[in-house]
Amino acid sequence: MAKTAIAIIGATGNMGSAIAKSLAKGPYRLLLFAHDKAKLESVKQDITKATPSADIDCVGCPMDASWEADVIISAVPYAAEKDVVEKIRNVATQKVVVSIANPLNETYDGLVTEPGTSAAEELQKLLPSSKVVKAFNTTYAADFAQPVINGQQVDAFIAGNDEDAVDVVKGLVTTAGFNAIVAGDLSKSRTLEAMQALLIQLTIKNNYNWLAGFKILHN
Amino acid sequence: MFELLFTKFDEKVQLTEEEKELAKTFFLPKKLRKRQYLLQEGDISKYVAFVEKGTLRSYTVDERGVEHIIQFAFEGWWIGDMYSFITNEPSTYNIDALEDCELLLLSQQAEEQMFEKIPKMERFFRILVQNSLIATQRRLVGSLSQTAEERYNDLVASCPTIPQRVPQHMMASFLGITPETLSRIRKQASLKK
Ligand SMILES: NC(=O)c1ccc[n+]([C@@H]2O[C@H](COP(=O)([O-])OP(=O)(O)OC[C@H]3O[C@@H](n4cnc5c(N)ncnc54)[C@H](OP(=O)(O)O)[C@@H]3O)[C@@H](O)[C@H]2O)c1
Repeated sequence: MAKTAIAIIGATGNMGSAIAKSLAKGPYRLLLFAHDKAKLESVKQDITKATPSADIDCVGCPMDASWEADVIISAVPYAAEKDVVEKIRNVATQKVVVSIANPLNETYDGLVTEPGTSAAEELQKLLPSSKVVKAFNTTYAADFAQPVINGQQVDAFIAGNDEDAVDVVKGLVTTAGFNAIVAGDLSKSRTLEAMQALLIQLTIKNNYNWLAGFKILHN
Repeated sequence: MFELLFTKFDEKVQLTEEEKELAKTFFLPKKLRKRQYLLQEGDISKYVAFVEKGTLRSYTVDERGVEHIIQFAFEGWWIGDMYSFITNEPSTYNIDALEDCELLLLSQQAEEQMFEKIPKMERFFRILVQNSLIATQRRLVGSLSQTAEERYNDLVASCPTIPQRVPQHMMASFLGITPETLSRIRKQASLKK
């Protein structure tokens, strides 16, 4: 199969680097972008050491990374997404854009988005000709190194309006080692983002040490 | 990014500035590096590609592992596997980049949406399909009845820079002749000049 190229914007972050590392094992070409070039290069080297077969390149600007990509993962803080969108808008049309953001306020006790919308839906408004899919927002960065916690494979939820785009993202989530569950259309992101806000609050309160996740128990 | 595509549109249909802006939103801009695949045998061809920059080829590989080149595509040309694109059946073709490429990809769904929003585009694509049918028929008749030399001349006429841009053995594969025969034809052609 012709390789799917994935741009990761913010690839030096906790999430960006964790996602890059776990997807490097799959049949993907990874295009990494972040402002700090030295740090980005060291992320790339770590990945190549762990996965010598990785097809991975550091790219000088978010637009070039996104232009070459089929799928764009926005791994920057919610507040920085507008800025990223301005740079990639012209090369993101018709592409799958993955929203991983949790729009938490500074004290982690609430969301900065209005009720009735979500970070993913706001991103879709900014990129009306792209196919925004919510994913990876309910899994902590540390979960990527350990997608099975206490013998249970962590569930990872996906929401999106375009069936083919959701399928593509399902492939990424599965490659990363999680149990992919399609939650529904993009508006389900409101629930998914609120779920993670709760998990963060509980993590702080109960000391889960930032290694935690959701698991639906069923027969 | 869209310069060449709009030049091609302008040759056949008249779009307003608003329609051009709208048309842009249906295309997926994609960069491909030399030797990367746009399509591999067994994939479903989800897109047809317009070439803004670069060169690609489509080819099949027979049971003995020999490549047969079906088509080249240069700036301003379209390439894809129409059969797989329309039927959603796995493709028997490979399409790869012979140079770094800048492409504009159009999916079936986006194409339908574009026709609905900009009906003039349907005319553009009708003419495109007509021309491609004519070219296919010419190539078929050529391979049945023309000499290798005539086919070589047709190929060079369709793209005069092709001998500089495409390796000899690929041109030979496209023409269905051995590289030795091609180099003999080229030598004779240069003597005639
Ligand atoms: N941490 C988690 O466990 C977790 C879990 C689920 C979802 N998330 C979500 O994932 C996203 C990233 O979180 P994180 O914890 O990985 O954050 P982080 O470690 O602070 O990383 C953020 C990344 O974004 C880049 N960045 C920041 N501002 C930018 C801008 N204006 N333009 C381009 N790049 C910019 C940063 O590097 P440069 O400034 O050098 O480019 C860095 O690579 C957030 O939306 C968060 O809600 C996080």
